[in-house]
Amino acid sequence: MRRTLLAALALAAAAVALAFLVLPVAAIFLRVPPGKLLHQLSSPVVTDALIVSAKTSAIAQALIIVFGTPLAYLVASRRFRGRALVVTLIELPLVLPPAVAGIGLLALFGRAGLLGTSIPFTQTAVVLAVAFVASPLYIRQAIAAFEAVDPDVVAAARTLGAGPGRTFFRVVLPLARGGLAAGEALAFARGLGEFGATIMFAGSLQGLTQTLPLAIYEEFALDFDTALAMGALLVVVSAALLVILKLVLTWQPSRQTSGFLFVRSS
Amino acid sequence: MRLALAAVLAVGIVTGASAQPGATRATVYAASSLTDALPTIAPRAYFSFAGSNTLAAQIRQGAPADVFAAANMKLPRDLYGDGFCSKPVVFTRNALVLIVPRANPAHIRTVFDLRRKGVKLVIAGKGVPVGDYTLQVLRKLKLTGVLENVVSRETDVREVLAKVALDEADAGFVYATDAKTASSKVRVISIPQRGRPNVEYGICVVRASHSKPAAQALVKRVLGPIGQKVLRRYGFLPRKP
Repeated sequence: MRRTLLAALALAAAAVALAFLVLPVAAIFLRVPPGKLLHQLSSPVVTDALIVSAKTSAIAQALIIVFGTPLAYLVASRRFRGRALVVTLIELPLVLPPAVAGIGLLALFGRAGLLGTSIPFTQTAVVLAVAFVASPLYIRQAIAAFEAVDPDVVAAARTLGAGPGRTFFRVVLPLARGGLAAGEALAFARGLGEFGATIMFAGSLQGLTQTLPLAIYEEFALDFDTALAMGALLVVVSAALLVILKLVLTWQPSRQTSGFLFVRSS
Repeated sequence: MRLALAAVLAVGIVTGASAQPGATRATVYAASSLTDALPTIAPRAYFSFAGSNTLAAQIRQGAPADVFAAANMKLPRDLYGDGFCSKPVVFTRNALVLIVPRANPAHIRTVFDLRRKGVKLVIAGKGVPVGDYTLQVLRKLKLTGVLENVVSRETDVREVLAKVALDEADAGFVYATDAKTASSKVRVISIPQRGRPNVEYGICVVRASHSKPAAQALVKRVLGPIGQKVLRRYGFLPRKP
């Protein structure tokens, strides 16, 4: 008796939790007919925001990979004093409120800031805001992925005559690529949704610095349907990212790459 | 048993969190330019300050506001027309001014200096009252070309003020009352007489309000001698020109 009651309660709680997570997202699509939703997407505010978001995201993510990967690899492969501190510092932007990130970026890059640059209000500012809030997601995951690479395999590659660079690109990187891709997908999703730091540091100007989230906020007070349409667009893109992420994680890259690798480097 | 207790507790927290403030204290959705003045007039009320257009949109979506105090008459009139609030009345007025950082890095002396290339001008966004007044001024003075120099369109007047006060922007259009709150950081440049817009503030009681008596009392206080005196002290202009 007690057991069935407990089970029923647990089931009810689970149903509430699931509905709570699903319904707000579903409501975006249910409130406006799909035809109208598509029509709203062709408005200049939306297309401009889409272009700004795509461009700044692409650049920011490229920077994250180019600068974040070496950092993650060094942290993962070296043991040094203060390593825990470094990892914590890398993770800090992840838990910071975005508004704090915006203030920080202004305090550093602002015209009256430490470096005194003219970056605020430019697309560069959007890129920096996105990179700042999103990179920890990639770097964290990359550190974990590099740490998971079997050191014996690396050692074997080195004994077989591969230099450090060759070992990294031919052994370590292929073995870690699943984790790296997962981290990058998360960073991309987080960057795409960036709002607080961007509006404070880069401002909001259609066609220049107004990303999709900023455009949604502006349209909320002007035309709710357009805001909904952009919301739907971001849901679709984010869901696609999540699916890609799941596919990447179900791969077992180690088995696919190791054979290829040892044939080549012998 | 323990699980059941937890469930009851969780439901209690959720409903408790959504409970409305007591019926005797009105919730006021007010234009951000009223951030300093209104709480002085009604210290016991709850306030939500933002761009008037954002607040109007929230009220349309069923936000629990009792009073709406906007920086123009259009937004409350539209709400009244669509049945969301009572007939709005003008409760105060304001003046639009141009502000520059104390150091004035772009050497701006009049609004016409905004035409110079490379000036970083910040204005409020589409639909934000102060943004609409700004466009009126630029049209009247045949200065719409300076829109080329706009580097950001902010969500409310205090954001415009912040960007200029922080010295990140070279100039911005705000209300005289906002400029007054940051007088140590910004300089005020007045707009020529022929370009000045008539900035009227409208107030109304929200139809769906559960605290109508408190809301009506608050509106009365704002329109009465105490409210008007406080508004004047903060630099707002009399209701009638």
